[in-house]
Amino acid sequence: MGDSLSNLTLLMPWIFLGIGILASLLVSSIRIQTKNPAKFVTLATLGLVMISSVHLFGQETRTVLSGLIEVSPLTCMALFLISGISFLFVVGSSGYLNKEKLHISDYYNLLLLVVLGASVLVSAKDLFVMFIALEVMSLPAYALVGFRRNDPRSNEAALKYFILGGALGAVFLFGTSFVFGATGSTQLAQIFEWSKTYNGDLLLFVVGHLLVLFAFLFKVAAAPFHFWKPDVYEGAPISVTGLMATVITTAAFVVLMRLFHMVDFHTPIWEPYFESLKQMIRATAILSLLVGSTILILQKNLKRMLAYSSINHTGYLLLGVLGSLSHPEQAYSIWFYLVGYSIITSGLFLMLSQSETPNDQGLELIDLAGALKKNPLFATLASIFFFSMAGMPFTIGFFTKYTVFMSSISAGEVLLVIISAVCAVIASYGYLRPIALMVMRDPDPSSASFVSTMSNQTVVVFLAALCLILGVLPQTLIQITKGLELIP
Amino acid sequence: MESSQELTALLIVPFFASILAWFIPKTSQRLYALLLSAIHFATVIYVVSHASLAPGAGLEQTLPWLNDLGIQLQLRLDSVSVWFVLLGGFVSFAVLGLKGPWYRRHARLFTSLSFFLIFALNTAFMSTNLILFYLAYEAVFIPMILMVGIWGSNTKAASVFRFFLMSFFGSILMLVSIFYLSYLHYVKTGSFSTNLSDLMVLTSDPSISLSWCFAGFFLAFAIKVPLFPFHGWLKEVYVNAPTPATIWMSALLSKLGVFGFIRFIGPLFMSSMLEFQGTLLALATFTVIYAAFLAIQAKNPKALLAYSSISHLGFVMLGVFSLSDAGRTAAIVLCIGHGLTSTVMFYLLDLIDERKEGVTLEEYSGMAKKYPLLFVCFFIGVLSAVSLPGTFNFIGEFLVLLHAYPVSALCTILSGLGVIFGAVYMLKLYQRLGFGTHDEKVGEGTITRDIAGFDLVVVSLILGMIIYFGFQSSIFMGGIDHG
Repeated sequence: MGDSLSNLTLLMPWIFLGIGILASLLVSSIRIQTKNPAKFVTLATLGLVMISSVHLFGQETRTVLSGLIEVSPLTCMALFLISGISFLFVVGSSGYLNKEKLHISDYYNLLLLVVLGASVLVSAKDLFVMFIALEVMSLPAYALVGFRRNDPRSNEAALKYFILGGALGAVFLFGTSFVFGATGSTQLAQIFEWSKTYNGDLLLFVVGHLLVLFAFLFKVAAAPFHFWKPDVYEGAPISVTGLMATVITTAAFVVLMRLFHMVDFHTPIWEPYFESLKQMIRATAILSLLVGSTILILQKNLKRMLAYSSINHTGYLLLGVLGSLSHPEQAYSIWFYLVGYSIITSGLFLMLSQSETPNDQGLELIDLAGALKKNPLFATLASIFFFSMAGMPFTIGFFTKYTVFMSSISAGEVLLVIISAVCAVIASYGYLRPIALMVMRDPDPSSASFVSTMSNQTVVVFLAALCLILGVLPQTLIQITKGLELIP
Repeated sequence: MESSQELTALLIVPFFASILAWFIPKTSQRLYALLLSAIHFATVIYVVSHASLAPGAGLEQTLPWLNDLGIQLQLRLDSVSVWFVLLGGFVSFAVLGLKGPWYRRHARLFTSLSFFLIFALNTAFMSTNLILFYLAYEAVFIPMILMVGIWGSNTKAASVFRFFLMSFFGSILMLVSIFYLSYLHYVKTGSFSTNLSDLMVLTSDPSISLSWCFAGFFLAFAIKVPLFPFHGWLKEVYVNAPTPATIWMSALLSKLGVFGFIRFIGPLFMSSMLEFQGTLLALATFTVIYAAFLAIQAKNPKALLAYSSISHLGFVMLGVFSLSDAGRTAAIVLCIGHGLTSTVMFYLLDLIDERKEGVTLEEYSGMAKKYPLLFVCFFIGVLSAVSLPGTFNFIGEFLVLLHAYPVSALCTILSGLGVIFGAVYMLKLYQRLGFGTHDEKVGEGTITRDIAGFDLVVVSLILGMIIYFGFQSSIFMGGIDHG
């Protein structure tokens, strides 16, 4: 693949992001009354990334930069999702940032860096590029988690996230070196070719492969790699938590899928490893589902509850992974799930950021009590999102579960689906509790009140509408996600 | 089967009524609800009048929806579903006329949820696609939970959770079973399908063992009906729910379970049903007697009616489990009879509740003297509930016992005792509420005049139907078939 100048058009989204970061750093020094110029630069950049990813979506798959970066429909969809959700977060959380006195340009610079890292990650076809992108995404994320400098919990969360994230980054690098040692390459395409003809000892490669997988299972907080998540979710500012739950999870899952499909498992020599790998995913999925759902229902703190909820969702996504390993065409269930999950989660986090309580990590479930009487619109919208999380019909949450169940059933995983169905019931209790508090209780004078800004309300209503529309007519989205091929 | 474009009207009317409710002023919500439910009922009658009820006939409509997932809008209105849809249309009209806190607080939400519920019920009763059915079956929860939560009485949280979790547990196992069937279809033919007729072909193959799938479906519907020992959620919810929700649950939601047995479990798992027939009959019989005993010792009138409802549904299930066409016909007749009777009983109980602030049976005592007309209506309702000859329930229960007898004489005789127990608790209810000395310590309710106006019209209409059909049951006999 020759790298001519015309290939630069394929790199548009990343170039826009790069320029955007420089521009936002540049305008950081300017302060026009109360307006924050960096916010507008960020919005413009994210908008351009969205437009360019839509533009690139229709084109055929190509790799650029000597095969390091892939521009495919899958990459473009992930790019669009990442930049779109970040866009909505930037629009919707300015009221929250003002209230928390975090509304400074650095926030946007760091946010754009996270988006840059995530968008390189979803397109990376080389283990080293993945590592660099992972660090580009993670380092600003650590800073964002600790953004509330005077708050010890925010600092604790940042430190915890940094140390564990750093260690797992090293694990990834360690694994990469093993894989390189075994295969002589770090490019996924070449490793795939190697796996077709290789006929020797597998140990070196298997160790390396598992290590790189662990690093990303940590990022998506699949149990037993989940311990950091509740603390970090709780300590981080709520808009950052939302960003982590959606953007970082999406990026990490795309990479995880590429890593799982790194070798050609149809070759007989990989058969034993394939079986034990599936066994491992089964175990992680069951553990994530159980941990997510059972601890979820015990939580009193809303952000911790959502942390366990996302561990639970990781379990469902792993069911989809299992299905896709046996039937690659079932991979669409994961992309579909990621879109649905991002819509629900970002909607919910943006709603919670409307809270008037000064320290949002103290946002308890009980603060929702009586919301129907105090703020009917808030209660209605939040109920839509919680019902959606529980997988009720006529919301996107139903079809996300439907597709992953379907995917893993078609791989013959009946027992696993039964377990996950039972976990869905357990988790649904956890999602029903906030709804019950909102509609049944009378308002408690000490409970937090939720006041939204115009922009926040618009975004949340938009997401809730998407939740319902895609819950009735998911056809288009399913067709789009079915067209996304995972190219080794 | 003839194809018809009219079936979607039964979904479109309630769906848009549910959305439109948000644009109607709060004060005229009751009027709006009555008007739209009348329009809905008229639509039901119009569509039903076009449906032929001959064996194997009916209206069918298939619309593409989610072809990629193997889900289509496959609707069928045949001799089984017609009765449930009709019952739903009528009961909804009666229920929405009831005045109460639901038209005072969040009135728009109430109307909107009600029509959404009707929409979901119509979808469930007409669907021949299993996933579509599951969607509708599950969607019924949303308005139900919210109604109990928002307009129910105080100790409601626990009851809502128990209701939701038990039902959700059952139905999600049904979903897994549906997936598994669809997967088997995929293994056999290379394509996923959740269409009832496709899966019937699949399950008619005796070489496939489907006991686990049967268990998944059975659990979902047994919880919904409910059959012993899955009835734990029912009493608390019935007692705490606002009256419209209680009526909907006892008259229609429980029928959703019965309908599931007739429409899906019967055709799909006949071999498993035959295998476990003895156990199933015993469960139904035990439900009849056990619930009757619970009703006899119930302290609260609403709880008493809740248990009586379980007991009657035990009879219905006895008819279904006799596994003969005639037995199922009898079960459907009893379903309609029980639907009408429980509607009128809970309706009247709500009127009584408005007139006295009682909790236990004793606290209500001595009301007949003050409200003679109300208690005349109540008495006719009680007679229907004890299946006196000449009421609709009698036809249903008699036919059920008649057709269950050849299958299991013992179960029939034991269930027959349930009729006697029924007389015991219903007459006790009437005696405690109507007669005895008027307890002055218990506060008067908000209303102190006798039944009149709209309430009287609706109640006498239902009572009239109960008596009329009690003599003219041939309309149903000819019309119900299971081709």
